[in-house]
Amino acid sequence: MILRLSNRACVLSGSARLKSTLSTYFDEMGKAGIILKSASAGIFENLALEDWIHDHVDLQNRSILLLWRNSPVVVIGRHQNPWQECNLPLMRRLGIPLARRRSGGGTVFHDFGNINMTFFTSKKKYDRHRNLKVVTSALKALRPDLDVTATDRFDILLNGHHKISGTAAKLGRTSAYHHCTLLCSVDRSILSSVLKSNTSEVIRSNATLSVPSPVKNLSDVDPTLDADTIMEAIASQFNNEFGFDSPVITVDPAHEALMPGIHKMTNDIQMWEWIYGKTPKFSVCTSLVVDDVNIKLDMDIKSGTVEKCVVEIPEDWLPPETVNEFTSALNGSKYCPNEAAVLVAAFMRTRSMSADVAGKIHRLCEGVLSVM
Amino acid sequence: MAMCAALRCVSTNFSAALPLLSRPAHIWTCQNSLRPNILRTLYTSSRLSGALKFTDKHEWVRVEGGVGTVGISNFAQEALGDVVYCGLPEVGTKLEQMEEFGVLESVKAASELYSPLTGEVTEINTDLADNPGLVNKACHEDGWLVKMTIEKPAELDELMDEVAYEKFIKSLDS
Repeated sequence: MILRLSNRACVLSGSARLKSTLSTYFDEMGKAGIILKSASAGIFENLALEDWIHDHVDLQNRSILLLWRNSPVVVIGRHQNPWQECNLPLMRRLGIPLARRRSGGGTVFHDFGNINMTFFTSKKKYDRHRNLKVVTSALKALRPDLDVTATDRFDILLNGHHKISGTAAKLGRTSAYHHCTLLCSVDRSILSSVLKSNTSEVIRSNATLSVPSPVKNLSDVDPTLDADTIMEAIASQFNNEFGFDSPVITVDPAHEALMPGIHKMTNDIQMWEWIYGKTPKFSVCTSLVVDDVNIKLDMDIKSGTVEKCVVEIPEDWLPPETVNEFTSALNGSKYCPNEAAVLVAAFMRTRSMSADVAGKIHRLCEGVLSVM
Repeated sequence: MAMCAALRCVSTNFSAALPLLSRPAHIWTCQNSLRPNILRTLYTSSRLSGALKFTDKHEWVRVEGGVGTVGISNFAQEALGDVVYCGLPEVGTKLEQMEEFGVLESVKAASELYSPLTGEVTEINTDLADNPGLVNKACHEDGWLVKMTIEKPAELDELMDEVAYEKFIKSLDS
């Protein structure tokens, strides 16, 4: 049975006496276990939905499973460095956005062939192994011959070798959530190309690093396994494992009246200051070759902002004063190719320079942008 | 208080003692007998001011010279597992008691940190950037997280002392 909560919400908001939120709806339901499915394919809406449930729903005597899928996106862990973890220029060309989640762990690629599951519990009931057992049991119930096992690292492996699921978690004041992915039919060629950084060798940082693993889709071993079938099986197994009897309830994370504050949460996690600005302090140290000239580039980036920018250039190629002015233009700016390009263009406009120098600065700038 | 009594004792005896050489010995005896009390008082005070107070979220704070040093308890570091990253606030951040001020990432999860007191962050432990494992290895000493001012000293009274905290942890197991 599927209840469209967004429809019910229309009814709720029509009545003056009711001021029901999702939280009070759960209280009224009186169930110890609830299964939700997000109506949205937007990563930011779905991450905000997770945050909202974690912050607003009483999870002391209640457990919730949230099932969700997103259109193509790369999601990095709380303390990761996107320049180390993924190919940002490629993602920009492909129109694949970047998101940073609040839980720890490594970098993943989502598309509609990937299922996300979030298990919300009290801190006392936090048990990742038991949650993963729900997933592996569900898969084996569908296909008894399937070789899927959870590891000590809370990965799920197919045939003992290929990773089909990774886990991350967050512990708050009184409650916790554990979420994991499940590769059903993800585009693996895009996955492997976006998750390979183009600049990791030039970065020095103490950010948490992903552990790369060979991956496979469940559909690779059984093309009849599709995401909808799997989600149904997981919902059913969740009920079995914990003795619950919840239907799958569809929730629309855009529904502010139902989840007051969720719009702000959705906006907050899309901000540059969160996605890029939360990157732990790092430095970039590399050699660029521009016009057959070796140029050393040294930058320190804190909170996603260039704190120091030093460029070593042969004096006969560009005058030192010009080089200093170039680096000053970048100091204090966001470590972002668009912003850097705008600043350098402004810098060039405000100074008179020969066409030769202008051309060199332009090509130098391109070299610097290539590491952003 | 004990110090004032000692001084009064000395001055009284001294004015009377000047003509008699035997008196100074009495003064010294007077001072000596009081000194252990003074020392005991000072020692107790410094132990109290350096003692750990705990929150129910397993953070501790140690007050020394009006500055609170904050860290997590042994119970917390064991529960967390190996810490791989310490997300700490900027110096100058103003915190309310119980406000989230950072996050520790471990193999277990990203776990939020809650401020034990109201105050301003004056220092963060920069050793943790390259050595987050200090939180596990030396949670009460080198693994400290931040130092902060203490805007509301009365908040310290609400926190648990070591004995109360040990009892609290035992009650969690049940």
